[in-house]
Amino acid sequence: MKVLIVEDEKGMASEMEAFLKKTFYLCDLAYTAKQGLEKMEENQYDFILLDLGLPDKDGLLLLQEAKKNCPDAAYIILSARGQLEDRIKGLDLGADDYLPKPFSLLELQSRMQAVARRKFGLPDSIVVLGDFRVDLNKRLVLYAGETEIELSRKEFDLLSYLLLHKNRPLTRMQLSEHIWGNFSDDDYDSNYIDVHIKNIRKKLSAYASVEWLHTVRSVGYKVKI
Amino acid sequence: MKLFTKLTLFITLSKLAIVILFVWLLPFLVNRVAYQYNDYYLNEQKKKAMEVIRQNGIEAYLQGEPSYGSYTMLKEEYISLEPAGRVIVPDTIATLRRVVEKDTLTYRVLSHTFNYNNNRYMLEVGKTTATIGQYNQPLQRVALYVLIGLIVSTIVIDLVFTRLLLRPLGVIIRNRLLNTRFPFRETMRPVQTSTTDFRYLDDSLTELMGKIREAFEKEREFTSNASHELMTPVSILQSKMENLMMEETLPEVLQKRVMDMMKTLNRLKKIIHSLLLISRIENDQFPKADSFPLRTLLQEVVDELGHRLQEQRLHFNLQLSGNVILRGLNHDLIFQLIYNLLNNAIRYNKPAGSIIVYDQLIPEKPYRLLIKDTGIGIPENEIDAIFNRFKKVERKENEGYGLGLCIVRTIARYHGIKIEVASSVGVGTLFTLIFPEGMAAAGPDPGQEASLSEGDRALGAYNGFSKF
Repeated sequence: MKVLIVEDEKGMASEMEAFLKKTFYLCDLAYTAKQGLEKMEENQYDFILLDLGLPDKDGLLLLQEAKKNCPDAAYIILSARGQLEDRIKGLDLGADDYLPKPFSLLELQSRMQAVARRKFGLPDSIVVLGDFRVDLNKRLVLYAGETEIELSRKEFDLLSYLLLHKNRPLTRMQLSEHIWGNFSDDDYDSNYIDVHIKNIRKKLSAYASVEWLHTVRSVGYKVKI
Repeated sequence: MKLFTKLTLFITLSKLAIVILFVWLLPFLVNRVAYQYNDYYLNEQKKKAMEVIRQNGIEAYLQGEPSYGSYTMLKEEYISLEPAGRVIVPDTIATLRRVVEKDTLTYRVLSHTFNYNNNRYMLEVGKTTATIGQYNQPLQRVALYVLIGLIVSTIVIDLVFTRLLLRPLGVIIRNRLLNTRFPFRETMRPVQTSTTDFRYLDDSLTELMGKIREAFEKEREFTSNASHELMTPVSILQSKMENLMMEETLPEVLQKRVMDMMKTLNRLKKIIHSLLLISRIENDQFPKADSFPLRTLLQEVVDELGHRLQEQRLHFNLQLSGNVILRGLNHDLIFQLIYNLLNNAIRYNKPAGSIIVYDQLIPEKPYRLLIKDTGIGIPENEIDAIFNRFKKVERKENEGYGLGLCIVRTIARYHGIKIEVASSVGVGTLFTLIFPEGMAAAGPDPGQEASLSEGDRALGAYNGFSKF
């Protein structure tokens, strides 16, 4: 997957690049709208991550022009403006998703994954996890290919988030922010993550071992495959 | 009391006092005028008599007699001429009794002594006192009628004029104080008046409100700008920490430290988010066009908070009267408002305590939604401060950042919802939301009973652990 990051804050752009590279995305950086358009003429991208607050052009205008050059790319708007109209305008102009700054890189990847599944119809929506198979599209957990294990909505969200960011320790805070979004209450909610993880373990271990779900001491959890 | 009422009262009472005084003085005054006129009249009569004597000689009256007397037909007036003693006394006017033809009558008498051919004579001209006061009664009556007529007409004129004069004051109170909504964004048209005092008052108020608006706009702008500017570095920091966290070579000790940093950063993020939200609300950036059943909204909030209710083993009770539809507000903001209130009700509750959400839907009265908890309560002296920004009061450890209730107040004010707080320490707190007229109405709800009981069952599930 090839990604173009159009972001005028160099520090921000390089962190996104570093993160996405680890998850095997190929990244190009552009710090201005002009550079961005040049890159789009030279290359084809799967993803274009677009900051709205560019110095030389309004990001929404750039989006319109970019759509002509790379009509097939998936566009995700990143913006510190975060106003509802911007969000609606961006989505109206054909953006696939909208992330208000500051966002978590984990959340960015999760959104990219979702957009990819929706837009490019990625076949790998079924993940094998020990003796379990997780169908991310149908939101199902299957044991031995047939027995369906019922997880609550939040439990499934948690599991799929851990799966998406497999082999990385996720803090309770990151998890609770994903689950409860803006309504998460810092420490207050991280206890509930433990409750949910306990439930997931209980439900799954009735069928097979869940040793792939690690507790990272004093930090959080990770799925190791 | 209103100024106009006071003025009316004053005008009426003062005129009434004058009337009473006048009525009281009137007989005396009329009598006095009558007597004065009578004295003048007697004097004139005397002059006429003297003129006759001077021209025709005294014999014209005496005709050989030593004295002369004459009176009118009903003895109302008389004249007499008699020789007098040696002493010349000045003219006197006095009320005396005189016998005329065997009748003793009281007269007002003018006595005049004069010399005529070395003889002294006394001329008396008299008029009965009864005739002097004969016009007093009708005079008094007429005077009284005229007076009352005058007073009534002046009162009417005064009232009309006072009303006209005071009208700009009413306009100022209505336009500047009653109908304006903080932060006074409407353009101010000066009130039409030629009274400089009102002009001054109006100008001062307009200026004052302008200053308030200016200060408010500055603060809002600052908050908004600062928050935006802060978001960028916060987002860079967050990305850097997240990447650091994923370093495989990062020792466990440092992992924990990075996590602590992320927590702190998260706290900062939340504060900025809240400030931005407040400034956006104050900036009118949220459309108020949503309509939805209150019950559905409450259900959504409770779904979001269910895990907290369960952990605290709280008894949650929702008692809504029928299916209330809210109109003309912003769903997300009202969600946030109720979320924050309920979240507080949970956070500051006792373990195994309870929360009751109920309402009062009375026709012709504003709709009320009440949220009652059995929490630690708020001390009397802190109640006024709880809606202020960053106001911290001594609570348990997991303290919020003092913006939750500030957001509640901002959202409520934005929608014109009034909030009342009643609390007693150790017993609990009651928040009352009073919706403006027309915002809440009982909605038509086919199959209401069935859906209601179902909703209640779903909510009731939080009472115990059955659902978790």
